[in-house]
Amino acid sequence: MFNSKNFLFFIAVFIETIFNANGDLFNEELFIKPLPPAHLYTYFQFTTLVNDNLSSEHTYLAPRSLVEVLTRFQVDELHFTLTEGQWRHNHWGYPVLDAAPGAELYAWFSSDVENVDTQWKKLSSTLAGLFCASLNFIEDFNTITPQMALQPTGAIPQNPNITSQLRYASLPREIVCTENLTPWKKLLPCESSRGLSALLNSRMIHNTNYHSIGVHTRKVCSSSDCSVVSLEIKQTVALVYDSKIIRTTDWSFTKLFGQGLPGGCPLASSSKVYVDITTNDTQPFLLSPEPEKVLLSQRGGSETKLALYTIKPENKMTTIGAKYISKKDLVLMKLPPLYFNRYVLGYGKEFGGIVTELTNTFWSSIDVVVLQNAPWWLPIQLSSLRINGEASSEMVLARHYSPGRSRQKPYHLELLLRLPPKSATKITIDFEFVFLKWQEYPPDANHGFYVGSAIITANLPTARNYTSLPGTASLFESSINASKPWYPAVFRTNGVMVSLPTPDFSMPYNVICLACTVVALAFGPLHNICTKELVLKVVGSSVTLKQKIINLFKKKKE
Amino acid sequence: MYQSNRMWASASFVGVLIIIGMPLWWKTTEVYRVSLPYEKISSFKPLSHFVTTELKVLANDDATASKIVSEIQKAFAESDIIKIKIEKTVMSERQQHILRSVVDMEKAVEELASTLDLDQENIFHVVQKKSLSHNIWVGNERIMFFDDEKASETIVKALDGWIYQTSVLRGSRSDTPDQARSTRFPPESAYHITLSIVHPRPDTMKVVWNAAEAVEDYIGSFVDELSSLHNFTLKSQWLHLLDFDFQAREVKEVSEWGRHFAVRQDRLSLLLTRLEERAATHVSELSTINLALYIVPCDKAPIIIYDNEGRKNPLSIQAFMSPKWGGVVIASPPAEQCSQQVREFEPSVGQIMGAFVSHLRELLGITKKDAIEGAHLEPSRSVSPRRWEVDALLRIRTLEQVTSAERTLQSLAQLLEEISNIVINDEVGASIAAAVSELEAGAGEGAGADAARAGRAHAHAQRAFTHPGLLALLYFPDDQKYAIYIPLFLPIMFPVVLSLRILLLWFMGKPVHKEKTD
Repeated sequence: MFNSKNFLFFIAVFIETIFNANGDLFNEELFIKPLPPAHLYTYFQFTTLVNDNLSSEHTYLAPRSLVEVLTRFQVDELHFTLTEGQWRHNHWGYPVLDAAPGAELYAWFSSDVENVDTQWKKLSSTLAGLFCASLNFIEDFNTITPQMALQPTGAIPQNPNITSQLRYASLPREIVCTENLTPWKKLLPCESSRGLSALLNSRMIHNTNYHSIGVHTRKVCSSSDCSVVSLEIKQTVALVYDSKIIRTTDWSFTKLFGQGLPGGCPLASSSKVYVDITTNDTQPFLLSPEPEKVLLSQRGGSETKLALYTIKPENKMTTIGAKYISKKDLVLMKLPPLYFNRYVLGYGKEFGGIVTELTNTFWSSIDVVVLQNAPWWLPIQLSSLRINGEASSEMVLARHYSPGRSRQKPYHLELLLRLPPKSATKITIDFEFVFLKWQEYPPDANHGFYVGSAIITANLPTARNYTSLPGTASLFESSINASKPWYPAVFRTNGVMVSLPTPDFSMPYNVICLACTVVALAFGPLHNICTKELVLKVVGSSVTLKQKIINLFKKKKE
Repeated sequence: MYQSNRMWASASFVGVLIIIGMPLWWKTTEVYRVSLPYEKISSFKPLSHFVTTELKVLANDDATASKIVSEIQKAFAESDIIKIKIEKTVMSERQQHILRSVVDMEKAVEELASTLDLDQENIFHVVQKKSLSHNIWVGNERIMFFDDEKASETIVKALDGWIYQTSVLRGSRSDTPDQARSTRFPPESAYHITLSIVHPRPDTMKVVWNAAEAVEDYIGSFVDELSSLHNFTLKSQWLHLLDFDFQAREVKEVSEWGRHFAVRQDRLSLLLTRLEERAATHVSELSTINLALYIVPCDKAPIIIYDNEGRKNPLSIQAFMSPKWGGVVIASPPAEQCSQQVREFEPSVGQIMGAFVSHLRELLGITKKDAIEGAHLEPSRSVSPRRWEVDALLRIRTLEQVTSAERTLQSLAQLLEEISNIVINDEVGASIAAAVSELEAGAGEGAGADAARAGRAHAHAQRAFTHPGLLALLYFPDDQKYAIYIPLFLPIMFPVVLSLRILLLWFMGKPVHKEKTD
């Protein structure tokens, strides 16, 4: 008995030394939150902290491919997400990390980079190859440099021109599929053979209402005075299951992911599963197996109860599940402090408008930055900007507008607004429809054209429905009891679709065919009229042999 | 008259369509091509290139020196691949004294270096040193010792096989690659070397291995010597939980293990496929030389490679090399480690990195030296290549780059002749022009000074040949183009061309219509 205890202790020490020796730290976490009445949010977070900062050429747990790309293009901070579906903030609350539908990429380059635009183009093309995504379609005409909406989250030296090193692009049309998930999984130290990533079975996770995979890298301080920085690579997966799709409100790993969990990743310092059981009071359910611990998190006046499971590498196949006891009660979700909606106005093919509605349900005012990003083929005019129908509003504290240029630059509008307490604000801006060249239409042009989501950055005064991590923290566990004066959040609204005037694409071909035929047919007579003379034949003149034969036929006919 | 009006109308149709229209159409649909120096390119003769080198023969007396020089001259006189400039000297009293008094070879070379300039590239010394145990002795420096004039035959053999490697030189120039050329990486200005440590079972065993240090120490000091040829970037990574099924056969034996696992050689290439999946070699913009250390889990250890005839690998280290890909070392933990509760395996750095360095030597073009009777080749004590091996590599690479650049340009010229719709834009044109001028400037002058020029010519030629701009119009073949033109052009051109005869007759003043004369 004594011996085996001693042995266990020894193993613990030994595992610690592995990671200290090689410097890198890897943590995997899974957060499950029921979203009553019918949805379930699961959020995976894999965090690799590269402590060995001496050289980027030698990697231990970090993916060399990604580290090499970051080093080659001198990227300080990178955020890349691929998302399918729409997060419904007013029903589901806030996700840990929000993402725009389709592909979204933004990065801060190091201040040593002089030509940010060429580096940005190279970076997006390289990432396109790495993730099998169409990021190579990121060009100057869909890239913007946000001025207020996005701030670096990592340790970047103070620089007044930090936004000049930032580039942002989103491709709302991008479809996310298995081919993106496979290269994403290869970046994990345990790939998909062990640990929580083994749950990411592409057949199951694409069968959800919303799914989003992401890679977020940044520099974090590794010493107290921040003189030493290390690289943090965070890979995330967010999934929202619909009980209609899985055909039951009860859930378990087997139902959600098609299999149980084959133990934690042996390279991870911790593998933890958190289940939000706050809704257990109103919608009682039973967790099986019993959680190891129940944590009570008090954050900004709201309380969250989290059931904690620690997964050991040597664990046998585990599955965590919940069974609802009664399913009759209808629950009303508490509305989050801020939610928004976006839609298109207008009819016909000449003018239209985009409306962004922001609702503040909180009792105090909230400051938000709204970033609207319209492609060059959707010219939005600043003169038509109306806030609650008024051209000038006291709510606007600051404004940035950069007009687009045809085929070169998108339209970009940023507004810093102070939303009054308990209010709804409607931002309207008009646009004109533009004719594209026939080669500029995407395949299936009649499907419509996607306009990227607006970004809404807010400092929320309350943590109600808020699940994000504190700014400096790397792990989900640090969001427990993390009360702060405000809670920064970056949200994306839903994307919208407009239907541009679309020609009949067979028309050019028809025109060519018709024009050629007409020209060919008309040319013969035209040439004859111009160059030949009509001569009357004298009757009774000598008849040639040919004429005789023709006459013979004529007679027969008569 | 009406007739003249009609004729002028006809003539204006001809004028607009044939004299203005056709050239305009021809000009606007022309494939853009910068004018290229075709004559210069076709005048290249890749097989005519050779390298030049210098040789200094030092002997105790003039007669021996002359004898050796004439033997060497006779042997290399007919060689079209290497031209040797031979210089003979009788050694000074001091030099003779050093050689007589110092018995240890390495020390003798060291002492002699104060009187001879051994640091100069592409100059080799053949020095007489009495009472050698072999006919000749070759070490790490650019120097060879011989006993007396009887050694002349061995000297020629050693110069041909070791120092100048004429067969490898010939292989680098010929149309079809030889063994050495199909093993080594194609010439490039820079390479990435990536060491991947494959650890399939991190949960059951701890592996102590400082990858960064091992790479920097061993590979770094090896490639430093080759920095005149290529730039190298050294990298390392760990690949965990990458399991590979060797399909090994268990063989019982008398040892600590009581068994070993036999892996057939032809199975090993599948391991490379598995490694490629995770090694992420495609991220780097340069070609990557892959080195992989596979740590065998305890339950599969030890693994021994058997060749295709079923013979066991006699060496203590299990390693194999894949041409133009890299090298793999399979390290099995010792039995006493696997029997313990807490397993910790520390692979031998010297042995494993030694295997990798020997892989790298061949992958970068330093060939194995076959034994020559009567000649003694001092085994290399450090990881760095011998000085004269670097010289030989420089000569091989120079010749290879020059001939390859010329062949590339010639095949490009031939392609342009055969496929009419390849675009040559200004960028490609500039690359071709640069390659041609580099080749003309340094044509066949051999190694040394113009090795850099050969490298530049090769890089320019490669850039031109692989430029994506060439393909811009490749998917619009001529037959499809004419399928569009003919329905339009034929009905229009038919009356116009027919009217030409009458028009000609009219201009020449001859009667246009026969009936008219009535």
